[in-house]
Amino acid sequence: MNCREAVDHLYEYLDQELTPEIERAVRQHLVDCQPCLEQFDFEEAFLKFLQARCRSRCAPSELKRRILHELFGE
Amino acid sequence: MSDATPPRASAPPDDRRESFEREALVHLDALYRVALRLTGNASDADDLVQETMLKAYRAWDQYQRGTNAKGWLLTILRHAFINEYRRRTRHPETVDLDAIEPFAVFDEVQEEDPQGRFFDQIVDDEVLRAIDQLPEQFREAVVLSDVEGLSYEEVARILSVPIGTVKSRLFRARRQLQAKLYDYAVEMGYIKGSRA
Repeated sequence: MNCREAVDHLYEYLDQELTPEIERAVRQHLVDCQPCLEQFDFEEAFLKFLQARCRSRCAPSELKRRILHELFGE
Repeated sequence: MSDATPPRASAPPDDRRESFEREALVHLDALYRVALRLTGNASDADDLVQETMLKAYRAWDQYQRGTNAKGWLLTILRHAFINEYRRRTRHPETVDLDAIEPFAVFDEVQEEDPQGRFFDQIVDDEVLRAIDQLPEQFREAVVLSDVEGLSYEEVARILSVPIGTVKSRLFRARRQLQAKLYDYAVEMGYIKGSRA
């Protein structure tokens, strides 16, 4: 697998959406290719950052009370 | 023997409630986060989530226990949003992605900050604002995949689009978000940047 092919699979690799065979090929390329590894690490860090920043919100407890009341009359 | 027996007997009320609490209500936070990003405001998000839960409870006998409740609930939520909220909710001005030249942020920062440490300085509200400015089709793909962690297949099913469409929307949405947050980080002085 060359750099171009590896980068084409970048997000599918990080999202764990590749077939085992292609995933192995990408992983092997990353072992052999420092520049691609850096780029994959950067994108992975970005996706983790995105999720961490967005998952801090929770449903307000007042909403939960309202829903329980509507559903079960409590 | 009578043929009048219903094909599926409703669960007794206690079981019904207990299974709904265990399998559906546990996803309340996820539904709320998605609703917030779709509607753009807390009061509509509250109403949308409440309506989704009521619809889901009414239809609970049609849900196959132990399958993907989160995906099932999000499908109900999205339909309710499209049918009842989309027309009247106001989102911040969205941008036409085709009009913007996408650039790979990594290429800009690989000398200065290849690990993307500058992202860590960007606060929640700024990230959420950037997501809210994405066109709706891209925004929902990012929220379902990147925030809620659903698979391509689950996202495709909820949005009723092919998996290939999910991939291309995600690709473009992520690049756009990166570019926006990079520009913000340069503006704030978190990183020098090389595009100025």
